[in-house]
This record gives sequence, structure tokens and C-alpha cells, in this order.
Amino acid sequence: MSVLKITDVSKVFAGNTVAVDKFSLDVADGELVCLLGPSGSGKSTLLRMVGGFERPSGGVITIDGEEITHLSPEKRPTGMVFQSHALWTHMNVFKNLAFGLKLRRLPADEIKRKVEAVLELVGLAGYGNRLTHQLSGGQQQRVALARSLVLEPKILLLDEPFASLDQHLRERLREEVRDIQQRLKITTLFVTHGQDEALSMADRIVVMRDGRTEQIDRPDVVYRDPKTPFVAGFIGTMNLIEGTVSNGVFIRDSLRVPLPIADGPAILAIRPESLDLVAAEPGMARVHRVTDYGTHGLVDLDLPDGERIKSMVSHPDLFKAGQGVDLNPTAIAAFRDKMQVYRSQT
Amino acid sequence: MTDTVVTAQRPLLETSERRRPVGLLLVAIPVFLIAWLIIWPIINAIGRTLWRADANGDVGFTIASYVKFFSDQYSVDNLAVTLWTTGMCALFLLVICLPIALYLRFSAGRLPAYVQALAIFPMFVPSIILAYAFIRVLGPNGMADILLNSVGLPKIRTPYLTPWGPVIGLVWDNIPLTILILLSGLGGVSNQSIEAARDVGAKRYQVFWHIILPRITNSILVALSFSILGIFSSFTLPYLLGPASPEMMGPFMQRTFREVNDPIGAITQAVITFGFCIVFGLFYVRSVARNQGK
Repeated sequence: MSVLKITDVSKVFAGNTVAVDKFSLDVADGELVCLLGPSGSGKSTLLRMVGGFERPSGGVITIDGEEITHLSPEKRPTGMVFQSHALWTHMNVFKNLAFGLKLRRLPADEIKRKVEAVLELVGLAGYGNRLTHQLSGGQQQRVALARSLVLEPKILLLDEPFASLDQHLRERLREEVRDIQQRLKITTLFVTHGQDEALSMADRIVVMRDGRTEQIDRPDVVYRDPKTPFVAGFIGTMNLIEGTVSNGVFIRDSLRVPLPIADGPAILAIRPESLDLVAAEPGMARVHRVTDYGTHGLVDLDLPDGERIKSMVSHPDLFKAGQGVDLNPTAIAAFRDKMQVYRSQT
Repeated sequence: MTDTVVTAQRPLLETSERRRPVGLLLVAIPVFLIAWLIIWPIINAIGRTLWRADANGDVGFTIASYVKFFSDQYSVDNLAVTLWTTGMCALFLLVICLPIALYLRFSAGRLPAYVQALAIFPMFVPSIILAYAFIRVLGPNGMADILLNSVGLPKIRTPYLTPWGPVIGLVWDNIPLTILILLSGLGGVSNQSIEAARDVGAKRYQVFWHIILPRITNSILVALSFSILGIFSSFTLPYLLGPASPEMMGPFMQRTFREVNDPIGAITQAVITFGFCIVFGLFYVRSVARNQGK
């Protein structure tokens, strides 16, 4: 049982730059939590504070109730996988994995057994004698993961581990890592700026911005029910249309959508897949471009005032540039003062 | 095939036979200069010491000049003091420069910038200025003596005109180059590889011993090879700061040539000096070749 608890942790760098601002998070035993956010949101700094590579300016970090806030990295029960793999090129694969075990003065036969077992786990059995530069990028990342796992850490920390890999390999590896994590039931904190990774791997996603939490929820909830306009815009593609609500109707130029909230300015959020199009002249919007992705199409639309929005359609061949269309949202959300004030399925 | 396709198929780096003469021409001038100004004098010097005219004027192979050098205790003492000075300098350079380079590599901020500027400063000071500054500070009745005297302490035993004089001067003179080469090597050790080592439980000295040191071994060899090559054949600092006897090979060669008027003896000393230097040169070449192999 390994529970990670982060309470009011802050990090202020020289020059009063606040990287992390009173961040709190509880990660349950065996849970995989993704820290997701744009560059500079503080997610890597937070992970490095959990790993002991940055000293928090304030707050408390505990693992299984034991405070580790000011422990050095070598004294923490954490294992970190770095973005650049960070393998030691002067050692072969076996020595990379055995290094931490040797420091713990384990007997040679036990080291051999543990290293071989973890190599088997990551699908690299028989690769022990290879030098690291003889491995592909994916194999190097597996070695980096194995190097952390062989020490049986209580908390596994993954710092954008797939960022340097190509798309195909990234998709395969994230499935493998998720399988291994679930098999070992190891509590994991995963930093990424790739929403696909977060949505496909995480038990919960923490969306971060400017060192603060925007939303913590299950991936499907974060996608379907974003609590702030930032989350709505950051996760997936979202049309965020600024306008005014008057008598229960959202108005932006020729666009009118029923919205039962108090009168005033609002941001209407519509996913492209929740925006149906009906051919009409002159229509609420005009088709700017149609992109056919094979499985679906994406239609770029211009509102009369020039605002561009997107709609996902199943038959892109039905639309062409310059054509007028009416917009029919099937699911909407609305934001005011940076908070969600309405969400509905129409 | 369209022009576009033909253009796309052409490699970025032209490797065709047509371009080969241009490449050879580019390296021809430096190769010629090296052959003319370095290789030829070496061959000439070796030839002049091994093929000499006897009393009858007949030219033949002889190692008499080398036998004379190694049977002369004074010459052997000079070679020994040169080796000792070089070894001491190498040791002190490593002991002084490695911690400074480590500090500069793994620190950030204004202080490391000042330390780096100070460490590189000797590069811009001519050896002769350095030698006179040394004499004024550590020489008899120099600044150190005056300061000690002012607080009632006895004078220091000055290293001026002892074998330690050239050691201090040469170490100071070679600190910038050594630090720059070590820093370059340390630049190849990523922060993440060090953090990864700490993450698996390595303490700071274990990180240094198991992760950093193996990765900069080549840089240490290169730095020491460069310094040793310069120190072994140095002249100004040993001449101005060192003892009259035994003396380092640089001043010894100059004196043998000018004052003793024995050019063959001086050339023999030069060839012997070259023989030692080439060993360190081979260390350097081997290190470079090993790096390129990787």
C-alpha cells in the first residue's frame, strides 16, 4: 500500500517566479494520476519536488504518512523515469539496472535474478549485455522504466517519458506501461503535455495552469464536463465562442443558442462532434474549408464576424467551401467568470 | 523522371568522385605545412643524430650522441627533473582543476561566472609577466615575506630558484586550458543522468565515482596530454623560476646550443624530449579516436 499525499506545496524560483502555487493532491494506492498542462504550468517542477530534485518553498509531501518533503532523492522511496531516458552510456543494460541494487549491497545472485525478472517484464529478456546505444529509442525507454522498477519503488514518477518517441511507438509504449503499472499495482504520477496520453492512461487527470490546479477528475469527466474555459480549450478540440446571453438565448452575431442562465456575457463551449450542420443559405456560418480524414471530416466554419469554429461531420463530401450552413449544437456548456455555469445535452 | 524527383534523389552531402579533388585540395595546404614545419624537422633531427660523420668524415649509423646523453649524470638529472616537474604539474592540475570544473559545470549564478573568469584569466597573462609576478610575491623579500614579517612571523622558504618554482608557475599557466577541456567533457554528462543516479540511491561521491568520472576519463586524458606536452618542452617559466642545476630540458637545450655550442647535443636532447612527448601525444590521439569511434 503506497499513498502519495501532496499538501499546499509551492515552489518559488529566484526572481519571485511562482512555478507551483499551493498545490494539493492525494494519489491513492495503485492509482495512475496524470499531471497535464501546457509548458510552464509547473507539472514537471511538481514531479521533481516529489522526486526530491527540487526543494519545495512550502507545503508537505508524504508517502504512506511519512514526510519526505526535505529528503534527498537517494533517500526517497520513489523511482523516476526521465524524458531523455538518462541511461548511463558507459554501462550496458544489465549494469544500468544493477547499479541501484549494488548500491543497496544486495548479493550478486539476487541482483542477477531481479534484473532478469524486470527485463522479462519490460520485454527485453536477453538484452542485458547490449550497450545502450545499440538499442532503439523505445528499447532505451523500456530500460529506463526497468531501472526504476527493479528497485521496487513505492511511487513511480514518469516525466514525459514518451516525448522523444515517434507517434506509433508512443502509442504502443503507453499501452505497455499502463499494463505493467496495473500488473504491479504501483502508485504512479505521470507528467505529460499530451492529452492523448493522459486520456488513455490515467485513472485521474490533474489539469494544471500557472502552477495551480484547474481540475482533477477522471479522463472522461475532464473531457465531457470541463469546469473552466481553460480545461475546455486545453483538452481536445473545443469551440469557445464569446457572446451575450439575453432572455435565455446566447447571441453571437447570427448564432443563437438557447442558454438558460442569467443575462450577461458568457462563453459558449461546443465540441466539434457536438455541432451538427444543416445546409442553409445564407445560414448562420459559411464553410471555409473541409478536411477529409477518412473516418470523419472536419469542417472549418466562419461566423459572419470572422470568428472561426469547427464541426466534425461523418460525411465531409456533403459540404464544400463557401457553402452556407445553420449550426445545431447537440451538447453545450457555458462559462462565466472562468467557471462553468451551465452544461446540457440538447 | 521529373526534375523535382531527380533533385530530391541527390544526397545532401555530395560524395561523388567529382568532388573528391576539391576536398583533397582543402586539406593539402595544412598537410603540406605540417609536413614542412613539423614532420620534416623531426625526421631531420633524428637523422642528424643517428647518421653522423666519424673522424674520417665517413657518414654512418651511430647512437653515440644518445649514449653520451644517458651516460652523462647531469643530462639524466635534467631529464629526471623535467619528468618530475611534468608529473607534479599533471597531479596538481588534476587536483586543482577537476573540482573547479565540477563546480562550474554544476553551479549556476553570478559567483560561478566570476570563478570561471578568474580561472581563465591566466590564459591572457604572458609567461614572462607571470614569472615576474611570482618573483615579486613569492621570491626573497617578496610580498608574502613582507606580510609575514609585518605580523611578526618568520619568512617563507621561497620556492623561487627551486624545482617547485617552475611547478607553481606552470600549474598556474596551464589551469585555463585544463579547465576548459574538463568543462567540455563535463558538458557531455547530462543533468538527468546524474539525477537518475541519485534517484536509484547514489550519494554524491558515488555519483562522481560511478557516473561522472567514467564519462570524462577521455577529457582528463586529453587535458593532461595537452598540458604535459606544453610543460615538458616549456622554456620561459623553468628558465626564469627554476634552479640552475638540475634544469628542465627547455633551458638545457638552449644552453647546450648557445653556450656550450653543441648543436648535436641539443638536437639529441630535443629528440629525447620529443620521444617522451610523443607518448602523451599518442594518448591524445587514442582518446580522440575512441571518441570518434563512439
